Amino acid sequence: MSDFSLTRRSVLSGAAVLLASTALPTIGWAQEPQKGGRLTVAADSEPRNLNPAIVASNGVFFISSKVVEPLAEADYEGKDGLSPRLAVSWEGSEDGKSVTFKLREGVTWHDGKPFTSADVAFSALQIWKPLQNLGRVVFKDLEAVETPDEHIAVFKFAKPTPFQLIRNALPALTSVVPKHIYENGKIEENPANTAPIGTGPFKFAEHKAGQYYRLEKNTAYWGKSEPYLDEIVYQVLPDRSAAANALEAEEIQLAAFSAVPLADLDRISKVPGLKVVTKGYEGLTYQLVVEINHRRKELADVKVRQAIAHAIDRDFVVKTIFLGYAETATGPVPKNDKQFYTADVPAYAFDVAKANALLDEAGYKAGADGKRFKLKLLPAPYFNETRQFGDYLRQALAAIGIDAELVNNDSAAHMKAVYTDHDFDLAVGPPVFRGDPAISTTILAQSGIPDGVPFSNQGGYKSAAIDAIIAKAAETLDAKARTDLYKEFQKKVVEDLPFINVADWTFISVASDKVGNIADNPRWAVSNWSNTWLAQ
Amino acid sequence: MRRLVQIPEALVGLGILAVLVVMALAAPMLFPGDPLAIKGAPLLPPFQEWSLPLGTDRLGRDVLAELFHGARTSLAVGLAAAAAAIAVGAVIGTLAGFAGGILDETLMRITDAFQTVPSFLLALAFVSVVGPSLTVVVIAIALSAWTGPARVARAEVLSIRERDFVAGARVIGMHPLEIALREVLPNALPPVLALSSVIVASAILIEAALSFLGLGDPNRVTWGGMIAEGRTVLRSAPFLSIVPGIALVLTVLGVYLAGEGVVEGTAVRKGLS
Amino acid sequence: MSRALLLLRRRLVGSIFVLLIVIVGTFLLLEAAPGDAVDAYLVSTGGDAGLVEAMRQSWGLDQSAATRLANYLWALLHLDLGQSVAFSRPIRDVILERLPVTLILMGASTALSFGVGSALGIYAGARPGSVRDRVLSTASLALYAVPGFWLALVLVIVFAVDLRWFPISGFETIASGKTGFARAADIARHLVLPVTSLGVIYLALYLRMMRAGMAEVWRLDFIRAARARGLSRRRIVLAHVARNALLPLVTMLGLQSAQMLGGSVVIESIFSVPGLGRLAQEAVAMRDTPLLLGIILVSAILVVLINLLVDIAYAFLDPRVGASEASA
Repeated sequence: MSDFSLTRRSVLSGAAVLLASTALPTIGWAQEPQKGGRLTVAADSEPRNLNPAIVASNGVFFISSKVVEPLAEADYEGKDGLSPRLAVSWEGSEDGKSVTFKLREGVTWHDGKPFTSADVAFSALQIWKPLQNLGRVVFKDLEAVETPDEHIAVFKFAKPTPFQLIRNALPALTSVVPKHIYENGKIEENPANTAPIGTGPFKFAEHKAGQYYRLEKNTAYWGKSEPYLDEIVYQVLPDRSAAANALEAEEIQLAAFSAVPLADLDRISKVPGLKVVTKGYEGLTYQLVVEINHRRKELADVKVRQAIAHAIDRDFVVKTIFLGYAETATGPVPKNDKQFYTADVPAYAFDVAKANALLDEAGYKAGADGKRFKLKLLPAPYFNETRQFGDYLRQALAAIGIDAELVNNDSAAHMKAVYTDHDFDLAVGPPVFRGDPAISTTILAQSGIPDGVPFSNQGGYKSAAIDAIIAKAAETLDAKARTDLYKEFQKKVVEDLPFINVADWTFISVASDKVGNIADNPRWAVSNWSNTWLAQ
Repeated sequence: MRRLVQIPEALVGLGILAVLVVMALAAPMLFPGDPLAIKGAPLLPPFQEWSLPLGTDRLGRDVLAELFHGARTSLAVGLAAAAAAIAVGAVIGTLAGFAGGILDETLMRITDAFQTVPSFLLALAFVSVVGPSLTVVVIAIALSAWTGPARVARAEVLSIRERDFVAGARVIGMHPLEIALREVLPNALPPVLALSSVIVASAILIEAALSFLGLGDPNRVTWGGMIAEGRTVLRSAPFLSIVPGIALVLTVLGVYLAGEGVVEGTAVRKGLS
Repeated sequence: MSRALLLLRRRLVGSIFVLLIVIVGTFLLLEAAPGDAVDAYLVSTGGDAGLVEAMRQSWGLDQSAATRLANYLWALLHLDLGQSVAFSRPIRDVILERLPVTLILMGASTALSFGVGSALGIYAGARPGSVRDRVLSTASLALYAVPGFWLALVLVIVFAVDLRWFPISGFETIASGKTGFARAADIARHLVLPVTSLGVIYLALYLRMMRAGMAEVWRLDFIRAARARGLSRRRIVLAHVARNALLPLVTMLGLQSAQMLGGSVVIESIFSVPGLGRLAQEAVAMRDTPLLLGIILVSAILVVLINLLVDIAYAFLDPRVGASEASA
């Protein structure tokens, strides 16, 4: 592969962003923030449920995080990487059985009623713990929430729960919704799930299905002189090339979550009036993972799995598929995670000869046609990049004599085939790293998960050692000891390869130069945008 | 054939088809191995490197090799889908027309049902549900295209079934099914076959549209798939979607022109006889 | 008028069987699909085993396929299209919201392709075999050979991004507060590109049918008679040749109406127009069986209605229809 100036440049910029996440905060500093205006943003999907307390996912947060706020938000500089939102302070007890939150005073809901500790208690016990996709794990031992006064909420756990985990979970898992709206009737069928009511800087105004969502400024917001914008409009653009075109035609001012395809970024960065922003997604890292079905005799052999790991040219993947907007992965925790990442794991260099030797050693000699065995490869269809990596992996496997047949399912069929029917040999998945291994990457290695649980270990992998580490970490209260356990976990996973990590990537925003204060926290796209402004 | 040559449009159409067939047949010889193999630096523009005359795509695959192998798949999809649609349509139409009564009524209501559902929507739903592979795409297209041949065949059979040779076959005591398939069907076929060029052309276009929506077979190169791949870089590397796009347009045009030529040619012959 | 009513009744009775086949067929197709609505939903959220099971239960997906089909048909008898799982709203509302958009888009595209197509067809067919005839019909074939999505992508880049004559996407300006004529003008501006992309391809179809039909009519005796009577060529072309060649085009109009919804799937998603075609694609992706059934039912009813209109139009254009109706 010859030297390629375009790719090299983007590799450098991408790497710099991922490594130095405390660098320059934003781009729009040159001007004074201005008030007013409508920000139009590209949206590629329309979530069925907009209640972030029930559905903690980026698609929902993208819209509803401006309306409904969590207890704390991720932050580049703040203590523990957090900045206060509805809670102003949080403290865990020694025994790990209680966490005390001091809540913000003078906050009102969009319907004018005051926000109190009763709302937090209700959200935690009635929604996060029983209904929320992630809360069901983190808050499974939450027994009660005491509310000694209107602005203090004390979470009581039946079993010791690591405070580190709770803290890491605050931005994504603790969206607070009003008790008075949800206390009557079935929570899942509440109309506020599609027209959310919160405390955030913007009020939900309307949704025209297939066209747009519109949010309006909350004039009674607790943040001083915030928000700056009058309106945020999410224009639904289902076509992949639409966002770039709309930006160029100045019909929208922002395309987040890599709505502009990576391959188009180099061109669009040269369009006057537009900027490409790689910051603001560090807290939403996606992992490119090869999931393995260990029920397949050949794949149950660790030598074969190691051979596959050696056959993948991670640099090529980052350079060509991600055009430099990603980092090669060394293990199940991404490099940009400052708490848990360790580089102290075995490395699998790109080495086709070694891979071939390992396969010979494992007893899978190449036949007369140069092929050793056949595999079924299912790339997840949700991202362009997972599909393209599937195309690449097929070629990489061909180079070591493994004949992989690609199966191109749509999303629902892929879910069913991989996570319920186990009808795959290799799959390409994009799990999200959520800042704590307990609520993300461990689920891909842990055994004993029932069939049908999405994005979990459905490959039939079982390792007593790894299961033991995961179980121990779940009840280890000391942050340092807990972190060490997860470092041990990374080492074991990379040694035994229950799955293979290839790359970690975050998203890219493209915005008009007129948009100020973007990307000022590690979850910016899914944070509240209260200080984002538009030059008139 | 000689008459065909006298119609310039038909000549152009046949010329295009001949080139296409040569491309399809020569592809494995000129570009042996997997056309999806990575051959060079990604996004190499055309006419830059001697060994990769049309450049490379997003992953560094040889566009010219893809184009040649794509001709194979596009032709295969078009012909297979048309053959399947015509075979199924002709048999159903013949049975309906020949049997009459309740069987006719049932078969024609089923035909109606298929015609009521927009054919592209049917193909789209079928492929999403069964999962895209070349065979499934062919079946999906055939599913949405067999109704035309069925109607034409039925109309033709209605006019044939009272003719002497059919009555003759009855007299010798041939089984009705045998009469329908061996005596009537072959005679009803010519007008049905006249539909084939339209079906081949629309099959190629439907395959392209399905690939465009991400419902193509990822193990095979198709022109539609190439356009879909190239569209993310439509602005920065337009050749990636223009080259297969032109191939697609020329092919469909060739099929139409040749098909019309054949129809016109036979019409002239009939007129003269 | 009574003839129209008779026609309507016959069509409706025949249609009921057809619709039943369509419903059961569509239901079985989606039933055979790997993954259900819950699988499709979980793609963007994830969740544990308990949540997945609770969701299947509350969406009624734990019941057998036969029960669900029976329930659906029973509700349908009461004119109830059911609840969409993907939108968690009544399907009737979801479809009614999109129907006008689809009708406008389809209507405008059909008008464009039929109007311009037949006009050019008359122009070409007025002198069969002439240079302009050959050029027009080959050019229209070339247009017919262009994949619609490709044309759409190019039109967007040229006319929306570079020239900025028309908006890139959407049905109307977002929350513009426009009403009446201003709103209609706004919608029209938004629909120029999608209507062109959708209509231009069928334009070729009508053009070719028109000129082929005219070529046939030219050979007929009464045209020779008209010529012999010394009528002007212009008059012969318009009043006799074109008028008679128009009939098959009207039939085609009815047939084509069923297909347009399919063609609009891609165009609607490229231009982000909130119509039924895109909704149908979403329904398939979300495994929302009742929604897809609802859309197909509505489009089938539309097709039946359009064909009825075509029949009536036919009766006006061709007095012979009345006589042959009984045998049809």
